[in-house]
Amino acid sequence: MGIEFSFIVIDDSELDCFVTQKFLERTNKSLIIKTFQHAQHALEIIQKDFNENNSVPTIIFLDLQMPFMNGFKFVEEFEKFSPEIQKNYKIIILTILSSSTNPIDIHRILTYGAVNSIVEKPLTKEKLVLLLNQVRADI
Amino acid sequence: MSGKIKILYVDDEPENLVGFKASLRLDYQILTAVNVPQAIIILNEHPEIRVVFCDQRMPGKTGVDFFEEIRMTHPLPVRIMLTAYTDVESIIDAINKGNIFRFVKKPWIEADIIWAIDEANKFYMANSMLSVKNDELQKAYNELNKFAYSVSHDIRGPLSGILGAINLASEIDDVEEMKEMLFLMEKSVKKLDAYVLSMHDYYSLQRGELKITEIDFNKVIDELKAIYSVLAKINNVTFDITIDQGEVFRSDYAPLRLIFNNLLSNAFKYQDRNNKSKSVEMTVEVKNSVATIHVKDNGIGILGSHVGEIFNLFYRSNSLEVGSGFGLYNVKSALLKLNGQIEVQSVLHQGTTFKVTIPSI
Repeated sequence: MGIEFSFIVIDDSELDCFVTQKFLERTNKSLIIKTFQHAQHALEIIQKDFNENNSVPTIIFLDLQMPFMNGFKFVEEFEKFSPEIQKNYKIIILTILSSSTNPIDIHRILTYGAVNSIVEKPLTKEKLVLLLNQVRADI
Repeated sequence: MSGKIKILYVDDEPENLVGFKASLRLDYQILTAVNVPQAIIILNEHPEIRVVFCDQRMPGKTGVDFFEEIRMTHPLPVRIMLTAYTDVESIIDAINKGNIFRFVKKPWIEADIIWAIDEANKFYMANSMLSVKNDELQKAYNELNKFAYSVSHDIRGPLSGILGAINLASEIDDVEEMKEMLFLMEKSVKKLDAYVLSMHDYYSLQRGELKITEIDFNKVIDELKAIYSVLAKINNVTFDITIDQGEVFRSDYAPLRLIFNNLLSNAFKYQDRNNKSKSVEMTVEVKNSVATIHVKDNGIGILGSHVGEIFNLFYRSNSLEVGSGFGLYNVKSALLKLNGQIEVQSVLHQGTTFKVTIPSI
């Protein structure tokens, strides 16, 4: 089978990146996980990796509230990539949902093709297993 | 002169203007115009005019036309119609189109005019107060909006991170991995703590009254020096302080300490990690009842386009370091209380210098 998924974690909190990464490592021994504290850096890598002809399906765990480039902006920028790049990725929004999060924004972000689902922090093992099954069904 | 209420009277008959001016000029500053174009010029030159009287029947534009026009272009002055023609049509027009405040019949008696001016002035004051309050409310509302974002990002964020780590902890057997996680958890807790502390600063600054005492800058700095010298040693930063105070200085200790603490904290926080000779320099000079403080670092600097924003609440120019977005906003609020000024000079990758001047109170 080889590697089923590769992962990208985007979160400005170091601790959250660490926790998500460790949970992922526990679901599967052989996988590639990249973590980014800046959404912009993740975009650059996605662009670069495609040139190297990478075709392993990649799941992006994306936080919404980040300084500089927030999650909404990231998805908007991601949508500008060519369909060949986009089809390799599934985005899972991993965020804090609060009354200050605009429901219209949430609704809008779910209409993007690449966005698979939205999950409230903190991540748990159970949530992760469910999410991965959901992505498998989506591919 | 400047204490008098400014009034504009527009009438095509010069003798009416002269009479009006003669009886009222002692109590008010009266400006006059014989036609509408002249009146508009005066209104543009004197934005502080509070009351405008106008005759209804004038060649060219009528009083109603004039009021209808300035209602849009000069909404602040209170409009009063002064006319001998009291037919119902012109009254209705004056009210509906000109949205006038009062209607005074010619020939007028002084008491009527003075009463009308008094009432108009009260109305003007209430309106301007309302617009000041509106601005304040808008500002408070904007801050509240940012605060709502900040609560979820800066308070719930670290909490949910720590909760996630606790969930994960039951899965971890490796001690090194656990230690790494505990280190990151500690960082999150510290960040949250710093945030709550500066929020406390923010509210005490917004509410508290000034407590003026004599300030010995050596004492103020000694306390901070103890904290920052340790930080300087750990991070290998040269830390120099020069204090030159030859005279008595009076101010409020708490906001003063907050200013020093935030500026020093920033100077150490935003250092360039790769720099071999990191330095922070602080000078305090008290002269002619003014304290001038310089805090200079050779750190990462601030991007030119961000400099204008750094004093805004919750603004963070850099996400690499722990910052709450409260610090410089609090510095600015503290300086506002102490009647002080702040200037910043910064070059990206070369460093930042803050210059603060505070007058003795």
